[in-house]
Amino acid sequence: MILAFILLGALTIIGGIITIAAKNAVHAALGLVGTLLCVAGLFATLNASFLAATQVIVYAGAVMVLFLFVIMLLNANQPVTSRDPVPFVRELAGIGGTVLAGAFVVLAFTYKDPRPLADSAAALEGGSALKMGETLLTRFLLPFEAVSILLLVAIVGAVALVQRPAAQPDGVPDELEAPVGTAQEQRSFGPRAAGQPALQTGREGEVSA
Amino acid sequence: MVPTSSYVALSGILFALGMIGVLTRRTAIMVFLSVELMLNAANLALVAFARSWGDPTGQTAVFIVMTLAAAEVAIGLAIIVAIFRKRETTNVDDLAALKG
Repeated sequence: MILAFILLGALTIIGGIITIAAKNAVHAALGLVGTLLCVAGLFATLNASFLAATQVIVYAGAVMVLFLFVIMLLNANQPVTSRDPVPFVRELAGIGGTVLAGAFVVLAFTYKDPRPLADSAAALEGGSALKMGETLLTRFLLPFEAVSILLLVAIVGAVALVQRPAAQPDGVPDELEAPVGTAQEQRSFGPRAAGQPALQTGREGEVSA
Repeated sequence: MVPTSSYVALSGILFALGMIGVLTRRTAIMVFLSVELMLNAANLALVAFARSWGDPTGQTAVFIVMTLAAAEVAIGLAIIVAIFRKRETTNVDDLAALKG
């Protein structure tokens, strides 16, 4: 048990370091996948078998696929190479993070278990889906329903957000939006891009409307 | 059995790593990945405390946090895609103006 904790803990931290330090975003995402899998293993050592399975399926599976998909879709795997807006932000974050981690470690070791660990672990019954579902549908019924509504809102919101808008006159220049889009947009933007007068596009728009 | 303190200490280290990532990375997607790291650190602490008290409430809370994280990722990545279409960048410094 102790060996499993040390191994999984070390791998978790290594994965976390890869996540925050990797230059390539795909490598960072894969580092996070490793971390999530190791956290799932830690859940299994903590008598939470259902959560371990959920962690692998939902987090390491679905969520990370979404991440990798977006990274590759946006071609965002190359690092951003502009100047730092805040001077010494890396050094300050490193020092702050080290201090925070040290404080957490010191605080963690002041915690005393309220009763013998073997008894509490036995009370969890291995963290089975039965035990969790019982809590979820009695004491946690309202959060459970709220979360289901939240998921519905998230689905609708994501669809609404990535819909291609018809026109957004907000003053921000859209240089690269012209060539793609619906047939209507292509017709109105295409001739102007080819250097023809704007009058013609206006007439075309009227005819098709 | 490994004491709860060790798990909570590991969770604290993981949280600090996530915080460093949020502060130093410049791409919005990388900031999101670091936030996921912090959420997982919190989950780990919750599960450790659930074992410490012998109460499945902590594990149920982790389940809800996981759902929230999934919703947050779906919405956040949709926002990033929408911004990327408009600005051709996901650098958070360039997006700091909050103008459309």
